[in-house]
Amino acid sequence: MTAVTLVLLPLVVATVLLFAREALVARAIALIGAIATFVTAVLLPGSGAVQVPWIPTFGAFIAFDPGHAGGVLALVASLVMVPTVLWASLRVESNTGRFLAALFAMWSGLMGLFLARDLVLFYVFWEATLIPSLVMLGGWGGAQRRQALLKYLLYAVAGSFAMLLTIAAIKPLAGAESYLFADLLAATVSLDVLTQTWLFAGFALAFAVKLPMFPLHHWLIDFHEQNHPSGAADVAGTLYKVGGFGLFAWALPLLPEGARQAAPLLLALGAFTAVYAAVIATRANHLKRLLAYASLSHMGIVAVGLFGLHLAGLSGAMYLLAAQMVTTGGLFLISGMLHARRGSLDADSYGGIAASAPALAAVTLLVLFASIGVPGLANFPGEFLALLGAFQASTAAGVLAVLAVIAAGVYGVNLYQRLYQGPQPNAVADLRPLEVVVLAPIVAATLWLGLAPAAQLRVFEADAIVTVERIEQAQDGVDAPLVAVGEVRR
Amino acid sequence: MIPADGFIVWSVLAPALTLLGFAGITLLLAVFQSDRGFIAIVALTGVLSAAVFALNLLMQAQGGLAEAGFGLRYLADVPATAFTLVVLVGTALAILVAQGTLGRMGLDHPEYYPLVLLSATGAVVMVSAGDLITLLLGLEIMSLAVYALAAWRTEARQSQEAGLKYFLLGAFASALFIYGIALTYGAGGHFDYAMLMAAFTQPGFEAHVTALLGAVLIIAGLGFKAALVPFHQWAPDVYTGAPTPVTAFMAVVVKAAAFGALLRIASTVFASLEVGALGAVLPGVLSVLVGATLVVGNFGALLQTGVKRMLAYSAVAHAGYLGLAVLAADQAGMAAAAFYLAAYTLMSIGAFAVLSALMDDDDAGDGIERFAGLARTRPWLAAGMAVSLLSLAGIPPLAGFVGKVLVIQAAIATGHAALAVLAIVTSVVAVVYYARVVVAMYLREPSAGTRAPERTTARPLGVALGLAVVGTIVLGLVPGLWYGLVDHGQNLLVFVSLR
Repeated sequence: MTAVTLVLLPLVVATVLLFAREALVARAIALIGAIATFVTAVLLPGSGAVQVPWIPTFGAFIAFDPGHAGGVLALVASLVMVPTVLWASLRVESNTGRFLAALFAMWSGLMGLFLARDLVLFYVFWEATLIPSLVMLGGWGGAQRRQALLKYLLYAVAGSFAMLLTIAAIKPLAGAESYLFADLLAATVSLDVLTQTWLFAGFALAFAVKLPMFPLHHWLIDFHEQNHPSGAADVAGTLYKVGGFGLFAWALPLLPEGARQAAPLLLALGAFTAVYAAVIATRANHLKRLLAYASLSHMGIVAVGLFGLHLAGLSGAMYLLAAQMVTTGGLFLISGMLHARRGSLDADSYGGIAASAPALAAVTLLVLFASIGVPGLANFPGEFLALLGAFQASTAAGVLAVLAVIAAGVYGVNLYQRLYQGPQPNAVADLRPLEVVVLAPIVAATLWLGLAPAAQLRVFEADAIVTVERIEQAQDGVDAPLVAVGEVRR
Repeated sequence: MIPADGFIVWSVLAPALTLLGFAGITLLLAVFQSDRGFIAIVALTGVLSAAVFALNLLMQAQGGLAEAGFGLRYLADVPATAFTLVVLVGTALAILVAQGTLGRMGLDHPEYYPLVLLSATGAVVMVSAGDLITLLLGLEIMSLAVYALAAWRTEARQSQEAGLKYFLLGAFASALFIYGIALTYGAGGHFDYAMLMAAFTQPGFEAHVTALLGAVLIIAGLGFKAALVPFHQWAPDVYTGAPTPVTAFMAVVVKAAAFGALLRIASTVFASLEVGALGAVLPGVLSVLVGATLVVGNFGALLQTGVKRMLAYSAVAHAGYLGLAVLAADQAGMAAAAFYLAAYTLMSIGAFAVLSALMDDDDAGDGIERFAGLARTRPWLAAGMAVSLLSLAGIPPLAGFVGKVLVIQAAIATGHAALAVLAIVTSVVAVVYYARVVVAMYLREPSAGTRAPERTTARPLGVALGLAVVGTIVLGLVPGLWYGLVDHGQNLLVFVSLR
């Protein structure tokens, strides 16, 4: 029941917030709601699965299971949502209650899509989460928000409908009993390679839009540039980049043969995305555009890890996805804090502020280092494993992805220098106590994910093995018998 | 209970008779009573009593006690009663919208409600017909009343044109339909579906070409009412020209009746023709019509500037999605269509209700500018419109989404994968034109010259909108409420095989 509570609680808070006219009341409700939701999320590991018939004749269930990769992502996302809600309640001045309501609605949607073990349920949450993110962009965005919103909506819906078609087709074609993951997994074995490839293409299109991956990433940059300068909506948007999760949890295990057909192309696209975005990030001036490209580059590495189709790469990609929620999210919050000081998101209008704001500088440096993959911090374990997986599949893709990591070092260090070092034309205030409270969970999570990756990786690995074993089985059918996966592992 | 041939079971007629009775009562009342609100309430009472009877019959049919009367000419199985309920819900909501709008528009003549009830009677007969002659009767009863309603604004050219166009083209379509019936009778020697099926599947049946020709003409006749391309030409003009409350009624009730009838014929008579060398003809014809409807409807809607005309084309587009269910009629298609039609009824009425509240008294002013900034000036109307349009676009977790999944799944299961892909591609187009209105409501500033007039929404209109929106959301979250009731579409075939 913890899983159900975790999905419903933010939704209830969101509904209550809609009716909170006073900003102060809204802030109080949001604070209590955020803490309560986070506590529920902490109780998640080890709690039981839920499975109730939803539309019996249709084969859809309300099924949540926190014991899989999605459980870990739900926990990490909740951890990031707490400071985001706090920061938004401090910085969003117009219609605070409604903005917070949209944030909580996203929280609920994200929990649902991470925890769902029924494909229809997953899709419903996947798509429903779009609405609050549109509301935040449309209601609180910048001057060009209408264009950004339509672009975002079109990309998202085109991808989603491709997935909808796949979902409608997969059950009758595979002859599955229901849309439960377990039933689909058992039934999809019977699908031939061509059908699998087509179905996988439908999934891949949807997930590539939300990953996002070149050439379907155009919405991302405008989305981030136009969102509210506090960065809160950007954090929620970052958490909502769940294409990698969709591939890992649904498309790859259900359609391994299709994945194997498409992997070379997607591997190349992923590697290209990583390098291309990282190179653009080194040239970007607008803070949010820079972070958008940096995050796009990380997503390229996630893709490379996934489409290597090896155990290490798969679980590494999920780990990187979780870690970059914290690091990219943290950087967006920091960009909001900078904006609160100087009213600008242009990197050039800063410089030398480390002297007047040493604590802010230190936190930025830590999160930035984590983001570019410095060992001991959040992104490193995932990035390393993802690259390892990529190298096993293709040296060229691996080398390209490593180039992206090097470029990340360039834009990361460069960004720090441009913001904090050099001549000191202007002094700014250092971290305020409330800002320390906002950033504390981010710093803690950065260290936690960097120093103690084993437990989470075990969960990811347990899921990834399903995919890897099915791919090996398929290969066994075609080629000469290879060594069984289990033995390789041991 | 399996009725003997010729055995009369009056209870199956209860919903239609109730409507007919109340049509007479309201007509009489209209002579003496000047309070239109009272007549509307009587009319609503009639619709609701009919709905109670229909629900009762549906429950019976659910339990395997499907009734049929008059030698299988009038049915009360699950599909018949389910579509009857959809028709009645649409009628009730349309009456509320009309009551909330007609007075303001100066159109509240006493004959309005009797005509609506008569038309609904025809629609109920159509979806319950088990026989081509009964179907024709229902079709004509429904159509004649709607022709008059389309020309309701007698002083306006547009409305007159709508009525005349609808009448002339409708008469033409009826002629085709009757010719189709004649040919089918010539081939099979019967009017009722069960006997036709038996005749068509008999060994040594020769008149395939005649039967197919008849079937194609029947598709044309019903396709006209359902607004399937290329028989849709009238729809945009008539929908735009008719007063908005009438449009709402036409868009939901007429469509539900046409599809109810088409689905039943497709699942029985047409299905029995899908054998032999010419077996692929009917599915082929239908596939082409459905594909064309999806493309023309959606792209047509994309090009419109007026919201009312956009909704008219969107009604054509939704005929395409329902057409997918017709292609799969003998399997899951029937239940999928019953769900889709219920969802479509609720979300369309929602959209038309908001439109009725915003348009001028002379039915002008449906430009998208009128919706600019509506979220600020009329937040509840904007929210209702947004839910209805998002549902029409197929965004979860709303009813339209579930309907779309069901029909697409049915299409794929019956091997129409290419059409399913087309349906998805055109759905993306649909999102654009629906979203345009939502974006205008929430993201644009109201401009002084074009803003929606300040007026309080009439209470019946608000009730209709509220019911439609709540229904759209509830059907989206708990589709089993309705789908669980209608997913026994095979009863009809049980009848037929037992004979």
